Amino acid sequence: MLYKELTSASQKEAIERFKAKGFPTNKWEEWKYASLKSWNEKDLDWTPAALNETSSASLQTQNGNTSFHGTLPAGVEFISFDAFLVANPTIATKWEQRFPILDQNSLYDLNTALVVNTQVLWVKAGVSVDQAITHDFILSAAQASAVQSRVIVYVETDASLTLIERAYTKEGSAEVLSNFVQEIYVNEKANLTYVKEQDLAQNTTHIDHTFITQLSNSQVDLFTFSLNAAYIRNNLHFYSDGENVVSNLNGLYVPGEDQLMDSHTVVDHRKPNSESHELYKGVLLGNSTGVFNGKIFVRPDAQKTNAFQSCKNVLASTRATMNTKPQLEIWADDVKCSHGTTTGQLNDEALFYLRSRGISLANARTLLLLAFVQEVIDRVTHQETKLRLTDKIISKIQTSLAI
Amino acid sequence: MLSIKNLQARIGEKEILKGINLEIKAGEVHAIMGPNGSGKSTLASVLAGREDYEVTAGSVEFFGKDLLDLAPEERAAEGLFLAFQYPVEIPGVSTTNFMKSAVNEIRKYRGEEPLDAVQFLKMFKEKMSYVNIDQSLLSRALNEGFSGGEKKRNEIFQMAVLEPKLAILDETDSGLDIDALRIVAEGVNKLKSPDNATIVVTHYQRLLDYIIPDFVHVLYKGKIVKSGGKELAHELEERGYDWIISALGE
Repeated sequence: MLYKELTSASQKEAIERFKAKGFPTNKWEEWKYASLKSWNEKDLDWTPAALNETSSASLQTQNGNTSFHGTLPAGVEFISFDAFLVANPTIATKWEQRFPILDQNSLYDLNTALVVNTQVLWVKAGVSVDQAITHDFILSAAQASAVQSRVIVYVETDASLTLIERAYTKEGSAEVLSNFVQEIYVNEKANLTYVKEQDLAQNTTHIDHTFITQLSNSQVDLFTFSLNAAYIRNNLHFYSDGENVVSNLNGLYVPGEDQLMDSHTVVDHRKPNSESHELYKGVLLGNSTGVFNGKIFVRPDAQKTNAFQSCKNVLASTRATMNTKPQLEIWADDVKCSHGTTTGQLNDEALFYLRSRGISLANARTLLLLAFVQEVIDRVTHQETKLRLTDKIISKIQTSLAI
Repeated sequence: MLSIKNLQARIGEKEILKGINLEIKAGEVHAIMGPNGSGKSTLASVLAGREDYEVTAGSVEFFGKDLLDLAPEERAAEGLFLAFQYPVEIPGVSTTNFMKSAVNEIRKYRGEEPLDAVQFLKMFKEKMSYVNIDQSLLSRALNEGFSGGEKKRNEIFQMAVLEPKLAILDETDSGLDIDALRIVAEGVNKLKSPDNATIVVTHYQRLLDYIIPDFVHVLYKGKIVKSGGKELAHELEERGYDWIISALGE
C-alpha cells in the first residue's frame, strides 16, 4: 500500500494499527455479514484528487475536503479541528478519552491516519439555528479510491441545530470506498436533529461512523435513510452521558439488487434518568442483504433508564436476506428496556383485499410497503426532506417491483 | 351477466365446490344460504379470485368474459365487488388513500380519465351519506380498531364508490347488531339498480328481511341443492336446513 507521508506520531501509530488488521473480513464477529475483505487486495488511490462540484449546500464535503459556503448563521463557527482545540483547551484534554472506540474498527484508525481536513461546525451557547444546514457529501474518483472524511459537530449548551446530510456519488465516478467519521458533541440542554440521506452509486462502498456524546437535558433526533450503494455500513454510537437525555434513533434501509446495508447501533446509557428510542425498518428488495445489530448498554449508574429498540423488516423478494441481532447488556436494576425484531413478508390477505378493489399487484405491494416505511419518514419534520425521501423511496420500490 | 357452470374448486386436497350452476341477470338479488361448511364463502372467494383456491373444473362467464382467467384486480375493473366477511386491517393505509388509487386504476383500465382531488372529494361526500360514515373513519388506517359495524359500513362505502355491476356480500350480517344491520342493508338497497345485481351470502335469514332477494339458493356440500323465491328463506328460518338435507336422502 502506498500512503501519503505521515507526519504526526498519532497518524503513524494509527496506520500501523490499520496495517496490522487490514479491512474487516467476515471472520470478524462485528463484520460477519458485511465483509470488506476484497478491499485488502485492491490497488487503490489513497489520496484522490480534490473536487470542485457545484452544490447548493452550505456545508460540503468533497472527497474528504469539508468547506462552508455562503454566510455562516449568527453564532455558528466553522473552523479546523486544530484551531478548535486551540480555542477550547479544556476540550482538547478530554477529547481523546471521551468515548471508547470499539474493537474491530480498523477503519477508524485508517481514517485517523489519512484524513487531511477535519473541520468543526460549532454552534455557540444559546444559539438556535433557524434554518436547517444542508451538508452535501460528494464522492468522485478517476480510479478506484479510498476517501477519508471527518467532520465534527459541536453544539454548545442550550443551542439547537438541524443538519440535513445528502451523501451521493458523482455520475461517472470510479469505484470508491468512503470512510466517513463523524464526532458529535451535544452539550447540556442542546438539541440536534440530524437527517442522513445515503443515496450513492452502485460502485460506492460507504462506511459511516457517527459517534454522538450527549450531556444532561439534551435531545438528539437522528435519522439514517440508506437508499442506494453497493454497500453501506452505519456504525452509530450514542453515549448518553448525562441525566434526562433523550436519544431518538430512526433508521430506514431499502437495499435493492446487489446491495448490502448494515446498521450497527450502540446506545450506551451511562447516567441515570435518560431515555433512548430506537426504531429501524427495512424493506429488502431483489437479492439484497440487510443487517441490523443493535446494542444497548445500561451501566450500573444508569438507574431509571428507559431504553426501547424495535427493528422491523419486510422481505419484498424471496431472494433477499435479513440478519438481525439485538443485544442488551443491563447492569442497573431499576430500568425499563425492551427490544423486538421482526422479519416477514407482505400479508397475502391484505394484498388480496387491495387487489379485489382494482389495485394491481405491483401497486398493492408498493402501497403496503410505503405504509410500512411511512412511520419512519413521518418523523422527519423538515418538510422538503420528507417529500424528497418519500419520492425517492416510492420510485425505488416501484422500479424494483416492476422488474 | 354471470353464468356459472359446473364450478368445482378445492383448497389443498379438500374438494369444496362440487359442481355449482348459477345464472344471474341484471337487476336480480340472489341469496346463497346454507349450513356452515357448505362452501358459501368459498364460492364468494373463488368468484373474487382468491388464490388459495384451485378451480378444478367448470367455467364462470361474466359479461361474456372468462372470469376465472382474470386477476382479482381485473375482475374488480370489470365490475365485480366482494364485501369481505372479515375485512382486513391494513396499518398505514387509509380508506380515502387506497380508494383513490383503486378508482383511478379502474378508470385507467376502462380508458377513462383519472379523477382529480376535487372530484374525489365531491364523490366521496355523496357516497359517505349512503352508509352514514364520516370522514374521520375514512382517514384512519383501514379497519384498524374499527368496530364490527364500522368495518361493514366501510365495505359498503367502498362498494358505493366503485359502483360494481355485481356485488357479492359475504356474510355481511355477521357481527352486526340490528341498527348496524339496517344501515348496511339500506346502503345496499340504495345502490340497487336495473343494471346491477347482488349476491347475498348469508347463514341467517335476518339480513334478507332488509335486502329482499328475488331468488334463494341452498348450498350444501358444495352443490346448490334447492332454489326458490324469497319465501324459501322464511321456510329455512322456521324449519332449519335438516328437512332439505333429509329430502336428499342423507
